[in-house]
Amino acid sequence: MLCLGRVLALSYPVNRLSPCNFIGRSSKFNDVRPRLSSKWRSMSSEPESSSFASSIDSDPTDKTAAGFCIIEGPETVQDFDKMELQEIQDNIRSRRNKIFLHMEEVRRLRIQQRLKSSELGIFKEEQENELPDFPSFIPFLPPLSSANLRLYYASCFSLIAGIILFGGLLAPTLELKLGIGGTSYEDFIRSMHLPMQLSQVDPIVASFSGGAVGVISALMVVEINNVKQQEDKRCKYCLGTGYLACARCSSTGALILIEPVSTVNGRDQPLSLPKTERCSNCSGSGKVMCPTCLCTGMAMASEHDPRIDPFD
Amino acid sequence: MSGVLLWVVCPKDNINSLLSYLPRNGRSRTSKMCSRLSFSTGVLAYSGAVAHPSRSSEEKVYEVVLKQAALVREQRRDKEKAWDLNKPVETDSLTNRDLLNEAYDRCGEVCAEYAKTFYLGTLLMTPERRRAVWAIYVWCRRTDELVDGPNASHITPKALDRWERRLADLFEGRPYDMYDAALSHTVSKFPVDIQPFRDMIEGMRLDLRKSRYKNFDELYLYCYYVAGTVGLMSVPVMGIAPESKASTESVYNAALALGIANQLTNILRDVGEDARRGRVYLPQDELARAGLSDDDIFRGKVTEKWRNFMKGQIKRARMFFDEAEKGVSELNVASRWPVWASLLLYKQILDAIEANDYDNFTRRAYVGKAKKLLSLPVAYGRALMGPSKLTHSVAR
Repeated sequence: MLCLGRVLALSYPVNRLSPCNFIGRSSKFNDVRPRLSSKWRSMSSEPESSSFASSIDSDPTDKTAAGFCIIEGPETVQDFDKMELQEIQDNIRSRRNKIFLHMEEVRRLRIQQRLKSSELGIFKEEQENELPDFPSFIPFLPPLSSANLRLYYASCFSLIAGIILFGGLLAPTLELKLGIGGTSYEDFIRSMHLPMQLSQVDPIVASFSGGAVGVISALMVVEINNVKQQEDKRCKYCLGTGYLACARCSSTGALILIEPVSTVNGRDQPLSLPKTERCSNCSGSGKVMCPTCLCTGMAMASEHDPRIDPFD
Repeated sequence: MSGVLLWVVCPKDNINSLLSYLPRNGRSRTSKMCSRLSFSTGVLAYSGAVAHPSRSSEEKVYEVVLKQAALVREQRRDKEKAWDLNKPVETDSLTNRDLLNEAYDRCGEVCAEYAKTFYLGTLLMTPERRRAVWAIYVWCRRTDELVDGPNASHITPKALDRWERRLADLFEGRPYDMYDAALSHTVSKFPVDIQPFRDMIEGMRLDLRKSRYKNFDELYLYCYYVAGTVGLMSVPVMGIAPESKASTESVYNAALALGIANQLTNILRDVGEDARRGRVYLPQDELARAGLSDDDIFRGKVTEKWRNFMKGQIKRARMFFDEAEKGVSELNVASRWPVWASLLLYKQILDAIEANDYDNFTRRAYVGKAKKLLSLPVAYGRALMGPSKLTHSVAR
């Protein structure tokens, strides 16, 4: 959620002017760009993404000073350096408050947008007022919803009842032999030339093992499908972490300063440990922002907060 | 020379500057160049180019190709030195072998995720080349996603400038993140030049501004920026066969033609999809000449006029493929099979468009798995044919 918050901060009108250029990970918030907030306003009226490019061009270089840049640069300058700790905490709190209020406004604007466009007769092919569907974890099954949950229960129970009846009543009555070519288990063991003791398996043990194998493999299938679905939502570049390893310090966070060792002196000084300094790329954290998902870790960086589209 | 076929007329003053690039005595060639006429109907408009002082995109692109070839020749001369020049002197890059291998593996995963057929094609290459191609692919894809991906709405020219800075840094051995580090290692191992990468970023800038292309010249430039550059990037990785008698320029030209052909095929396949995003990647003057307009495209109906127009476009794309074929045999023996395979596969997309009755508005031209698999042995067969042994075929 915090990562989401960072992305949404784009819409944040800037309260204090910050000296332009830079971009520290924390100072991203600072430049919010009145330019970008106007873009968000225009976004509410033009949901097409292709018009974004034109809206960026339409406000040309009047706000050159501060511009949120999704690509971090190595020459980052931390603008918030000069603040005191308490000031920083107050800043954070006030910004998070504003994020919340803005998201609420976006939600209301979207509702109005929907109402107005349906008034004007512009229809989108979306379902109206339906309860959300839950995609099924089991592959090849249709999505579930509260409505067809009943149907789901009914079919599952009847299937279970049918199998119990079949196994308990029908099969012994008809003396069904389900081995290959109509053999029973005993015939099968005999034909495989295995010791006859194997054919005298206790029916309770047999059914327990069979049931357990079925249940375990079913659970496995469900879990694997679940993992696949969650993976699909992840950003493929950072694998959901939101960060990439900093190449400058090889994820250690520290740069080793190489000092030329002079051999002219001739004195037998032992070599001192190399001095290190904090890596400027990643500010010592060892990781840098993934530009594809903007640190959210999700494949679609900005569109998975339900408040953005209440009709989705 | 294959590239020459793209020229209609070359203004005399350009020839002298070009002569300095040509490695062999180009006297006889220049007259040939001047007399060649282009085969594409759209390009005939260039006969007016003689009067114009401005150069056509094809000429500008050709100069880039010549420069690339010249650079490679220089590096071939001082082989050992040149390839070590890019080795990072500082301790900035991922010198840790494990991290580098992990970075390359991730590049492979990204490639497998987003371009399955391409990934399968890379499996036909040698392991070193495979990793290099993955690293290049990931960089190109990340660059493309800046303007076309989930964050396209936040892209600014400043972001692209920063991205270009990152590119320059990684070429100097100072990569920013792990994917940059993989590319940085690749360019230190193979003689890849930075210019095609810069041009690709330029193409992204173009894409931000433009959504219509007045004539084929503009479209050609765009195709060069986004796809021709990829061809130029990959020639140093694929390698030219040592026994090849063809000039370096001709191989680069063939790679360029392959890139252009691929992009044109993409464009022709995705007409409907692009139209839904409000973009038309077909030359406006050719549309007008065929009696079509943007509205016809947005409407999405297949008419006889549309069929004729598409026939001409497909014909031109096929010609670029033919140009490309001339150079594939000059590549290193280990690289011929994957390149042939990708060429044949992509060419089949054009067949699929025709089979769909030229309906690229609603139907996606798709090459089935069976056909794809069948192309592999055919590509292998063609890959067995080595470089052309005839020297005079070079001076085309």
